[in-house]
Amino acid sequence: MSDIHFEEEEFETEFNGKTVLRILAQAKPHWPLLAGFLVCITAVSAIDSYLTYLGKRLVDEAILGQNRALLTEILTQYGLLFVLMAACVFGFIYLTGILGERIRYDMRKAMFAHLQKLSFSYFDRTPIGWIISRVTSDTERVAELVTWGLLDVTWGLTSIVTAVIFMFLINWKMAGIVFISIPILVVVGAEFKKYILTEFRQVRKINSKITGAYNENITGVRVTKSLAREERDLIEFQDLTADMYRASYRAAWLSALFLPVVQLISAFAVAAIVWYGGLQVDLGFMTLGDIQAFVGYITFMLWPVQEMARVYAQMQQSIASAERAFSLLDSVPDIQEKPGATDPGTIQGDIVFEDVSFHYEADKPVLSHFNLHIKQGETVALVGPTGGGKSTIVNLLCRFYEPTNGRILINNQDYTDLTLHAIHSKVGMVLQTPHLFTGSVRENIRYGNLNATNEEIEAAAKLAGADEFITKLEKGYEENVGEGGSLLSVGQKQLISLARAILAQPELFIMDEATSSVDTLTEALIQQGMERMMNGRTSFIIAHRLSTIKQADRILVIKNGTIAENGTHAQLIRAKGHYYRLYTQQFRKERETQVMDLPVNGVLVGE
Amino acid sequence: MNDSKNAFDLKQIVTKNKYLGLWRLLTGYRWLFIGATMSIGMAAVSRTAFFYLLRYFTDDVLGSETIRERLPWVALGFIGLALLQGAFTFYSGRWAAASAEGIALRLRDYLYDHIQRLSFAYHDKTPTGELIQRVTSDVDALRRFFAEQAIGAGRIIFLFLVNFIALLTLNVRLALLSVMVMPIIFVTSIFFFKEVSKRYEAFQVQEGKLSTTLQEHLSGVRVVKAFARQQYEIDKFEADNIERYRRGRRLLMMHAFYWPSTDILSGAQMIFGYFTGATMAIEGTISVGTFIAYMGMLGMIIWPMRNLGRLIVQMSMGIVSLGRVTEIIKEDRERLDSGTAVPNGPLRGDIVFDDVCFTYDAETAVLHNISFAIQAGQVVALVGGAGSGKTSLVNLLPRFYKYDSGSIKLDGVELYRYPRRYLRQQIGIVQQEPFLFSRTIRDNITYGVDRKVSDAEVEEAARAAAIHDVILGFPNGYDTKVGERGVTLSGGQKQRLTIARTLLKDPRILILDDATSSVDTETEAAIRQALENLMPGRTSFVIAHRIQTVMEADLILVLENGRIIQSGNHNQLINQPGTYKRIFELQSQIEDELEEELASVKREA
Repeated sequence: MSDIHFEEEEFETEFNGKTVLRILAQAKPHWPLLAGFLVCITAVSAIDSYLTYLGKRLVDEAILGQNRALLTEILTQYGLLFVLMAACVFGFIYLTGILGERIRYDMRKAMFAHLQKLSFSYFDRTPIGWIISRVTSDTERVAELVTWGLLDVTWGLTSIVTAVIFMFLINWKMAGIVFISIPILVVVGAEFKKYILTEFRQVRKINSKITGAYNENITGVRVTKSLAREERDLIEFQDLTADMYRASYRAAWLSALFLPVVQLISAFAVAAIVWYGGLQVDLGFMTLGDIQAFVGYITFMLWPVQEMARVYAQMQQSIASAERAFSLLDSVPDIQEKPGATDPGTIQGDIVFEDVSFHYEADKPVLSHFNLHIKQGETVALVGPTGGGKSTIVNLLCRFYEPTNGRILINNQDYTDLTLHAIHSKVGMVLQTPHLFTGSVRENIRYGNLNATNEEIEAAAKLAGADEFITKLEKGYEENVGEGGSLLSVGQKQLISLARAILAQPELFIMDEATSSVDTLTEALIQQGMERMMNGRTSFIIAHRLSTIKQADRILVIKNGTIAENGTHAQLIRAKGHYYRLYTQQFRKERETQVMDLPVNGVLVGE
Repeated sequence: MNDSKNAFDLKQIVTKNKYLGLWRLLTGYRWLFIGATMSIGMAAVSRTAFFYLLRYFTDDVLGSETIRERLPWVALGFIGLALLQGAFTFYSGRWAAASAEGIALRLRDYLYDHIQRLSFAYHDKTPTGELIQRVTSDVDALRRFFAEQAIGAGRIIFLFLVNFIALLTLNVRLALLSVMVMPIIFVTSIFFFKEVSKRYEAFQVQEGKLSTTLQEHLSGVRVVKAFARQQYEIDKFEADNIERYRRGRRLLMMHAFYWPSTDILSGAQMIFGYFTGATMAIEGTISVGTFIAYMGMLGMIIWPMRNLGRLIVQMSMGIVSLGRVTEIIKEDRERLDSGTAVPNGPLRGDIVFDDVCFTYDAETAVLHNISFAIQAGQVVALVGGAGSGKTSLVNLLPRFYKYDSGSIKLDGVELYRYPRRYLRQQIGIVQQEPFLFSRTIRDNITYGVDRKVSDAEVEEAARAAAIHDVILGFPNGYDTKVGERGVTLSGGQKQRLTIARTLLKDPRILILDDATSSVDTETEAAIRQALENLMPGRTSFVIAHRIQTVMEADLILVLENGRIIQSGNHNQLINQPGTYKRIFELQSQIEDELEEELASVKREA
């Protein structure tokens, strides 16, 4: 939930030439589309300007000149131009739109592919919501800039330019008068709009706070009720909505003022033309149609001027968006394959940690000068307090991270000489918080081996002790697990992810608190399957459950990044050290929970 | 804002007739909104007057004797009309905004309060995302209905009507010939925008799917890497991405065809109008000025019409939103203050359950014939497996749910006679899954008390809850915001914060879930310490997961399938055959089992 409601800040930056070029470069593979829509939109505004000019000829030459033949000719031109313009309108909507969709598609594809290369460390420090915003809304904004943003600018400029050209052609003195009003319009319009946009930004900010407040209002409703906090919460919320009212009312009436102000400025230009032009007509220097055309051109220029500030602000946002999107694309994976890394096809053999040091943050070492030798086929259990370094050892082993110092050898070969795929494709990992993907149970198990047959999938599920509950589901193996597996219990998810790992038939098997939420009865059930799984495979187990730990060939007690104790269950019990204490505490706790959590039918677990 | 606007009970908008509902929603803002609508109409009139002035200028001023005297006035007239039009437009926008924002404000406040006063039963069955969607997007849709769509549609209709009437006064035949294709454009635009909104929705669904795929991928990125399934994931994303592209293109094609084709339709109408008008002007049936005014008015009628369909379709979606909002509003609130029994001062805490039955949804009975009695300050331990009814039983006490039959007496008075607010002030709850608000730690601790709390008091509560030292370790101590970047509270820490919160609230009755299975041994000891500071002197209901808690309880209730199968204190229950005795026996064997286990290890060696 929290990720979905990730609060997105708004960014803006000044124009940065390099970024702008890189944004434009996104359109490069599709340059015919870009060129096409630029031509279309230029044609549209040129035709538009010319139509106004035709209007002048209609009045002056056809009507005042009493020329019916010319009337037909002018209107025929009108008709042809309308058809041509419609074609151009189709062209620019289609080309611009397609270009936008292509760029969005391309960028998302590129970003997703790049994400696949990034290392765990990147995902550790980057919130999911941040990445999602980059891939979704930022690509949207970049595409907007190259398409509709560029279109708006081109349209605005060509409209103003062609209008000005026609006006100068008709009467240069009067064109001069109008020309003066343009900068005034632009400056007033831009300043005004900036003000309005700031207000709207404020509105959006408060709005996301309101959404956040609602979210807590709903998710925390049981606490609010039990603390009888309703009234005070409402008062706090009302502060927020009152702010919202003020900000959005202000933003709304400021925008309502914008158009009239711009129109009023242009009305002065119209008045000047009517006055001055009227005199000119009287003197015979100008025609009625000229005046009408001028009035037309002024209205015509109003729109681009109005839009300019908005387009500018959007561009700023797009550039900021692009910078963040590019930063994702430019981030370098921490773990990279050496040139010439090989894939021997197997990673069987002894595993050696040789003087390995590791830290996530520079000043907080997790492992220092850590040494460990694991024989091929050995099952090793890691126990010890949270934060002691157990998961780190496993993550290093899988090369999700690499040692900051020292090296890890697989079959006497430094594992950085292997490709990542060589290692990852041979690892089977089951995590405490199992992640399932939307789809059926079957699809989720198949994830371990995409070529597996249905029989193999079901056999893996049986081995994992998952078959029993799966067959009880309404649709069995075809049952949908929901988003992230939300329709299943944690224990069920753990069993499915265990089956997934079993199906993968890995050479290196790793379980990180993999069955912590499985009930005791099921745990006993899958014990056998797991033993068979670990037989002959190098396996690492991080677990609290005693039954899981006890079956290991070797138990390592990891404390503060070092091996505090190392030996078999019996050896360590006799040593009466850390493991002994951990074991006795855990034994009591496990048994006690079993005893207290009576199944409904009154039969006690373990009886 | 005046009182009549605030006093309006939004419950009234719940009606079968949606238009009536919209009208009622406008209560308190009706005149303002009508003013906004009239004002946009007047703006249209001013706009049309501009063309009349143009006609006057052409026909009567140009070429007249007194042109030099009259020109300045005409010029001034244009400015005056722009001012008028501007003023009307502005006030229309301003009043519409005031109405719409006022309505939205009232809705937001009402819904916020309404939601927190709906029963547990309602929240149990309503997904959070669904509610959020309604209180944000749907309220916003209603706001836009009044602020933008209704006014925008009004503007187009007024422009059409005013200019059409004006055309009629210029020349009836010309006027009628000028609106021939308008019905076609109008009808087309409605069909078009209906289809667009359908395709847009399909597009949005896909966009959402893409985000979900991405979100899921990112939360499972470790699994992807662990199985080296990057290519598989890329293919999956590609499928969604390309589908989004396709739907985007399908939506785009609608627009790419609609606008140029209506361009041609409107253009044909214009050319036809120009031809008719110009011919009339050449023949002298109408003046040149009339023709020029006509050209302008024709544009005002034709071009805006293409957008009317969009507004109407959007408005129909606004009406759907109204329905979705009223669905929440029509739910009945839980009344906080109904009930006559309000003792002066705190409760004692004697509680008697007499033959209480409870069903969640009239079908599945959850509690059957529950009877027991405890005195103030005593501890009741509830023992039983998952689904045995422990949580349901304690949820009846703060009147979160309604029991169906039997009676629960608190200090001799039936529970229903106490107002919920009073009851809940007297009861403190520590849940198994603690909920904290995204405020500072201090605010979270003082969240349950309605008075100014000194720092010393907060710290004392935190100390008693064994969380003070942890808090001091945070970057901003008590002012650290929960959920802030870099501040992660473990489950055990959260639990102790809620214990501190409850300590400060100082309730007479306590409900707690002592589940500590998910926390490590050290934290468990800290929590236990915190609870020991919390419980004395309060009537306590403990959902017990530990035998120690149970043994010390004054009354033990063993529940199974919603029934009490055994009750009594520890000494009584261990002396009778039954579940409790077996639990205790097994419990006491644990140490022996452990000894044996350890001994076996030694024997093996």
